[in-house]
Amino acid sequence: MKKEITIKNNEFIFTLFKEYYFKNIENLKPPIEMQNREFGIMTFDSKVIRHLSFSKLGNLKAYIFQNVPSDIFCSNAYYQFPTFPINEKGWKGADMIFDIDLNDLLLPCQKEHTFYICSNCHVVFRDLTKICHECQNTKILKNTIPCFRCIRALKKETKNLTEFLKKDFGIKEENMEVSFSGNTGFHVVVFQNNYLMLDSKARSDIVGYVMGKNLSPESLGVRNDKQGYKIKIPLSGYSYGWRKRIIQKMKISEVSNDYLNKFIKKIGGYQSFKNEIDKIASDLGLRIDPQVTTDIHRIFRMVGSLNSKSGLSKIICNNLDQFDPMTDSCFFDDDINIDISLNTPLKFSIKGKKYHLDKSISTVPVSVAVYLISKKLANIASCSS
Amino acid sequence: MSIILGKDDLAKYPFLEEAGNYIRETHFDLDEFNRSEFLHIIERASKRIEFELIQGKVFTDLEKYDIELFTFLVSLIIMKYINEDSAIKKFSLFEAMRVERFLVSDLSKEKDLTRKNLLISKVFRELFQLDVELDPKNNHLFKMNISDYLIRATSFNEEEWKLIGRAVDNGYVYLDGDETVRLIRYEIYKLMYNRIKNMNITKIPEQIKIHAGLIKNKLAPVIRYSHTTIDLPPCIKKALELLNKNENLPHSARFMLATYMLSSGKSVNDVILLFQNAPDYNEKITKYQVEHLAGKKGSQTKYSVPSCSKLVNENLCYATIDCRGITNPIQFGRKNRK
Repeated sequence: MKKEITIKNNEFIFTLFKEYYFKNIENLKPPIEMQNREFGIMTFDSKVIRHLSFSKLGNLKAYIFQNVPSDIFCSNAYYQFPTFPINEKGWKGADMIFDIDLNDLLLPCQKEHTFYICSNCHVVFRDLTKICHECQNTKILKNTIPCFRCIRALKKETKNLTEFLKKDFGIKEENMEVSFSGNTGFHVVVFQNNYLMLDSKARSDIVGYVMGKNLSPESLGVRNDKQGYKIKIPLSGYSYGWRKRIIQKMKISEVSNDYLNKFIKKIGGYQSFKNEIDKIASDLGLRIDPQVTTDIHRIFRMVGSLNSKSGLSKIICNNLDQFDPMTDSCFFDDDINIDISLNTPLKFSIKGKKYHLDKSISTVPVSVAVYLISKKLANIASCSS
Repeated sequence: MSIILGKDDLAKYPFLEEAGNYIRETHFDLDEFNRSEFLHIIERASKRIEFELIQGKVFTDLEKYDIELFTFLVSLIIMKYINEDSAIKKFSLFEAMRVERFLVSDLSKEKDLTRKNLLISKVFRELFQLDVELDPKNNHLFKMNISDYLIRATSFNEEEWKLIGRAVDNGYVYLDGDETVRLIRYEIYKLMYNRIKNMNITKIPEQIKIHAGLIKNKLAPVIRYSHTTIDLPPCIKKALELLNKNENLPHSARFMLATYMLSSGKSVNDVILLFQNAPDYNEKITKYQVEHLAGKKGSQTKYSVPSCSKLVNENLCYATIDCRGITNPIQFGRKNRK
């Protein structure tokens, strides 16, 4: 019975994904130097196929029409031989990528709309569990339906990141692409030449910088000492980067040995100064997924493709302030209604319309059905026009 | 003759193109080194090499530019004739440190901005394709692209080189002269090493051969380490392998090797001996540091071997299947030995 439901859900999603690609294939945005990228797909039976290469967008489109993948990915890296095994591809650089995901923001509202779903019987739990109480399955999925506060926070964090990249890293607006991931996050891709050749270790240093990790008092010229601490103002001063951020936040108006000494004494010495720096850096640092940025061989969701975890499209955000992911990335027509059976009562908004579903069987527009079935929060019941 | 830099600069930086041009333009023949009036040059070059290879100190004497240029040339020829990789590496490292001292001093003390810029252009841009600029707001600061900085700084493990602790703005990292020069130490070292390795001299003058032979006899024999009695973890094996090749181990690798050996029961003296092949080996400093790690100096704290996860972060882990289940290199092979 459970298997039948999964097949029915998959057939429904597959048909609509196929229709999406036929109607909206122009949404697919070919990456720079498409011929040097590795492509990968996920099939509806959860198989990952990597090491694909398409020299022209037309070839990729034909492949999609023929295979209708559940997800489409493209490497951030440029390769000499994209179809070869990873160590033989001939790495020629990689776009620098950033992922801002709701899970990393740890918002207080998240618990209200996070669901733990058994991958086997699809029973939904509201509290974190390691085992399904119904079928004893230990594979539990975590799904979130972002609320407007989540979206607002994600957009703010993304904006802060782009500001950081522009101000500190000198990345030009035209060398940066911001997109909605199609589920619960935003992606920022940097393709500015001077950053493409950086290895994983260098990118990890950039991640540390952006996240505000391990900023030491020593970098501000304050050293731990047997007598307490010593101050030696760095020649490169406090006018730039994190040093400036910390000094401004601590409201130290004048940077001199005497003034800094008074300040550190006042707050309780070296350790208190260090704690204060940690706190400020943690507040001002951005919450990004470090693994994504340090990965120089990652296959990353392709712009214009659908995200099988939500049925929404990964889409470029030209105007982040105005962007509404639950409307702008939802491409399914709502001229047909679908009966779905809900696994849990739900409250959410799609395409500007609020839904409050608490019946076990509900009739909803296609866009809502695709979203909830993809989120494993509902199953297909039957079609009605 | 087209010397753009001052002659004093050529004395300090004899590897610059202008220095090579000067020697070429004098139509000097290598055979002339057999003449007695050039003996002082050969002796000076020998002294410089012995100072660096045997005493382990940076040779900072500075003579007139023509003496320096020829001394440098003879030093390279002697090293080519000695043709021992470990010695060439050590010489290259000390020569890099010599250049570093002059460069730091010139960049921090030079008041003439045109000259300062010329030096930056000659050394950083022309030799190493590294775009370094003077900060227009502060002539004691230098700025370079973040990516150029990261490519070099990530090979240092010290926290101070992490980008977050740096003055960063609009795509640039701002550094003082000392830091800027430190970043290219390895490149200067490689430049010296390659100059010697790629030298193609058909006939080395007899006088130079005689002096080179004398130095060669004074060089300490290269110690080869072999550990067959106990199983060593791959990270430690790798560090010993690099020392055998006279590579310059980073500080973190030296720390790992010394703490591992001390923890596995080796004496301080045995551990000191391990580092004899390091190109920058200095017995006094090594002794102090190993004793410090063994808890016999300073805070009297005996340092532990860093954990596997720390070694992974420091790029020092070379785990094999035999490392399964261990969290610290010291646990390696314990199961097998039981």
